[in-house]
Amino acid sequence: MPIFTRKTKMLTCAMVLFGATTAFAAPEKTECLAGAKPGGGFDLTCRLAANSLLATKAIPVPMQVTYMEGGVGAVAYNHVISKRADDASLITAASSGSALLIAQGKFGKYDASAVRWLAGLGADYGVLVVAANSPIKSLKDLVAAYSKTPNDFPIGGGGAVGSQDWMKAALMAKAAGQAPKSMRYVALEGGGAVVTALEGGHIKIASGDAAEMVAHHTAGKIRILAVMSKERLPGVLKDVPTAKEQGIDVDWTVWRGFYVGPNVSDADYAWWSKTFEKLSTTPEFIAEREARGLFPFTTIGKAFDDRVKADVARFKALAAEAGL
Amino acid sequence: MHGDHGAMLRHGRIGAAVLFVFALAFGWMGSRIEYAFSSDPLGPRTFPVALAIVLAVLAALNFLRPGRNEGWPRGATLVGAVALPALVCATGLLFEPAGFLVAIFVLTTGASRAFGASWPRSIGAGIAHAIGWYVLFGVLLEVQLPAGDLFKSLLKR
Amino acid sequence: MNLDYLWTGFAVALTPTNLLIGFVGAFLGTLIGALPAIGPINGIALLLPIAYTMGLPPESTMILLAGIYCGAEYGGRISSILLNVPGDAGAVMTALDGNPLAKQGRAGEALAISGLASFFGGTVGTIGLALFAPALAALAIGFGPAEYFVLMVFAFATLGSMVGSDPVKTLIGCTLGLMLATVGLDPTSGAYRFTFDEPELGDGIEFVVLVIGLFSISEAINILEHQSKGGEIIKVLGRSLARLEDISKCVWTVVRSSVIGFVVGVLPGTGASVASAIAYMTEKRINDRDGTFGKGDVRGLAAPEAANNATAAGAFVPMLTLGVPGSGTTAVMLGALMLYNIQPGPQLLTERPEIVGGLVASMFIGNLILLALNLPLVKIFARVLTLPNWILVPSILVLSVVGVYSTHSSVLSILLMLGIGVAGWMLRKLDFEMAPIILGFVLGKVMEVNLRNALAISGGDLAILWSSTISQVLWVMAIGIAVLPWFLARRMKRLRAIEAKAEAADLPED
Repeated sequence: MPIFTRKTKMLTCAMVLFGATTAFAAPEKTECLAGAKPGGGFDLTCRLAANSLLATKAIPVPMQVTYMEGGVGAVAYNHVISKRADDASLITAASSGSALLIAQGKFGKYDASAVRWLAGLGADYGVLVVAANSPIKSLKDLVAAYSKTPNDFPIGGGGAVGSQDWMKAALMAKAAGQAPKSMRYVALEGGGAVVTALEGGHIKIASGDAAEMVAHHTAGKIRILAVMSKERLPGVLKDVPTAKEQGIDVDWTVWRGFYVGPNVSDADYAWWSKTFEKLSTTPEFIAEREARGLFPFTTIGKAFDDRVKADVARFKALAAEAGL
Repeated sequence: MHGDHGAMLRHGRIGAAVLFVFALAFGWMGSRIEYAFSSDPLGPRTFPVALAIVLAVLAALNFLRPGRNEGWPRGATLVGAVALPALVCATGLLFEPAGFLVAIFVLTTGASRAFGASWPRSIGAGIAHAIGWYVLFGVLLEVQLPAGDLFKSLLKR
Repeated sequence: MNLDYLWTGFAVALTPTNLLIGFVGAFLGTLIGALPAIGPINGIALLLPIAYTMGLPPESTMILLAGIYCGAEYGGRISSILLNVPGDAGAVMTALDGNPLAKQGRAGEALAISGLASFFGGTVGTIGLALFAPALAALAIGFGPAEYFVLMVFAFATLGSMVGSDPVKTLIGCTLGLMLATVGLDPTSGAYRFTFDEPELGDGIEFVVLVIGLFSISEAINILEHQSKGGEIIKVLGRSLARLEDISKCVWTVVRSSVIGFVVGVLPGTGASVASAIAYMTEKRINDRDGTFGKGDVRGLAAPEAANNATAAGAFVPMLTLGVPGSGTTAVMLGALMLYNIQPGPQLLTERPEIVGGLVASMFIGNLILLALNLPLVKIFARVLTLPNWILVPSILVLSVVGVYSTHSSVLSILLMLGIGVAGWMLRKLDFEMAPIILGFVLGKVMEVNLRNALAISGGDLAILWSSTISQVLWVMAIGIAVLPWFLARRMKRLRAIEAKAEAADLPED
């Protein structure tokens, strides 16, 4: 077994090295900018790229991860556009949350076309959760109960009103025929706080992401009612039905990816795209992605750019509909 | 000290008046915070406006009885008290265009001089500060420090 | 209570390699804590990838990170005491009495006492972690928005102790702090308040920016002013050992503060800054009969130091038992565990006892190492004060600028710090104190968010604020701490009257 993996490793290394040299040369040093504190989602995204790029020898020296906290990535977005627009060595972490904020005009004066969207490397999916001892057993139950007595169900999420977690809850409320505006929504500090509030009975429903909830689900503290993906998720969540299966056609993909500055040359953009494309099939990358609880979502180059812009348009419509 | 009583009262009252105006401005801005809706009954405006009212009342009380104060500096002391913030301001403005080394050199040379060191000493200290702190923060602790756009554009040419 | 895991842990932590790793962590932590520019979060984020790529086993990595974490709480006090520039968030209160002590020429003693208090707080916290972690997890869960709000009411009740000679000025300071706390994104409505369309203000005013502005910038201007007035700043270090009488004076203070720090640390919504503030104000409320707090009272120095070190240990409780981080730093450490595919939570203790045990044991050992490391170094640290102002103050300014810039990599932060600093200096001239502003800021944020979250849950029904047992207990405590000094003062008066009578009776015989 070990010999086998070493062989494949060497093979992929050779492939990547070969590929890299035939395309454009790798930047001498590379940097990944995370628009938040260390330890958050952007940091995780950066580390995914940094670790697997180094492990597959796509880059010769470790990629430096830097942090620029502020406005859930807004500060980093403005920084890249105004100060490092042509820096080809820099990639910046982003997520569907960034697209949502752009759609709401919360990234300052810039819209989604102000940067070059590079690649999405992994995805997480929205989930709706109740405490393990809750009488609610399925999303169907929840929607039925919520449509009758919405005030009995304070909802918690890890973001402000208008954030991804709020949106997921709003989609549920809408399905139950209730106005998102009248939700008793509580903005808590991240997924951990949401789980404790649920366990303590302070909130009755929580909205979050699969990766952060799955461990608490398997530990038997909470129950994931539905995953907001098109198909069922593999692994431990394979028994959890999708929202669509339960008659509520909503999906919420939380993709994680990168953008580069608007003035990065086509050649450099192509180098990054190619490098990520090769990277995405290596066992090292897949192991790194799975270690972070992310599901496959490899969308690179133009396809990713289109995806982000389509998301922004969709989020704009959703936000307007929800009364934001 | 006794002769200063009137001046002390005046100083204190100016401070209280500034606080009062600040409270009014804060309350006015607070009452105009834009939002679509809030999931709680208080909303984002209540807290700031309430605080502004509290501050306005307290500032009015403070205006009536300003209490003790030190009085503003005059002459050379005033120059120093203005020079130091001006120096920090200049450092901030120089930080990104000129880079860490230059900005810190300016800051520390100026500040050393303000604290009474001779010019040669101040400049020596400035050079030592710039290099020493750069080694500690930029090299050893890997804090992100600006290299300076000026140098970057020179290097490119 | 089965403590086998702890003995396993000591066996792990006491291997020569892990002892060395603990030592390295403690040393780096002290350095990181002493420099205002980088806090424990950045320090850990910096070293984590290095530890991971070096192939350290998970328990060694945790020992390294725990050393840094505890060390930072020790280090923060150094710059607070010597320079009046808090090295990290938990060390703000330390400056209030620590710096006056240094100015009285007792810097060495102040460092020694605070070192001992830190050791005690850290050890009490670790004992609490070892013994009560599972039981306390229930407490952490019991705290919802309503309970956090009442906890803040309690904190404000202790704030009554800060009302000095001029209550109006103290209240103005506190209100200003509360106002500054409203800047930024309002979570319950998604609105941006007072951000002037600057994305950097979206998350509000950074604590570091406020603290460095109010303390170090205004202090630098102050030093300059007094120097040119001919005022001499005392450069005596004094002895570097703590006096026995001071230690005995601090015993109960340290015990109470350690407990407060630990319990506040257990709650995921609050951190070292809140814990040290509550500990300091509680001690002032109980002990400050002669108005010595804020002017160099050793108890005012020991209280926040014991509390912030106990908080560091308490913050591990929710992380290890619930898998929920109790502070920003433990969040990073949680990420570290996950890098090794270890999922924290109640099952961790049974599945991987060597990790939990190794961590707890290494915190005991780390505290010992830190004490051993810190006490002999007191003399060297204190030497900083003998530097002439033309070297010292520019250094303070560099630390301030770099510290603030590193939060957002933004010049706006530097200018904001400067503005706050100049405003702080003017307020000082008008005889305002800085501490109430900081307290208002720290407590106000937690208070508003939780009050509004509680009302969002109840749909506006105020009864939610006193419906749970926890909040009822907290209300009673808040009322208690508010009336306690009044009660004590009355008793003192009576005692003094009796003493005076007795003395008067004694006099003729003398």
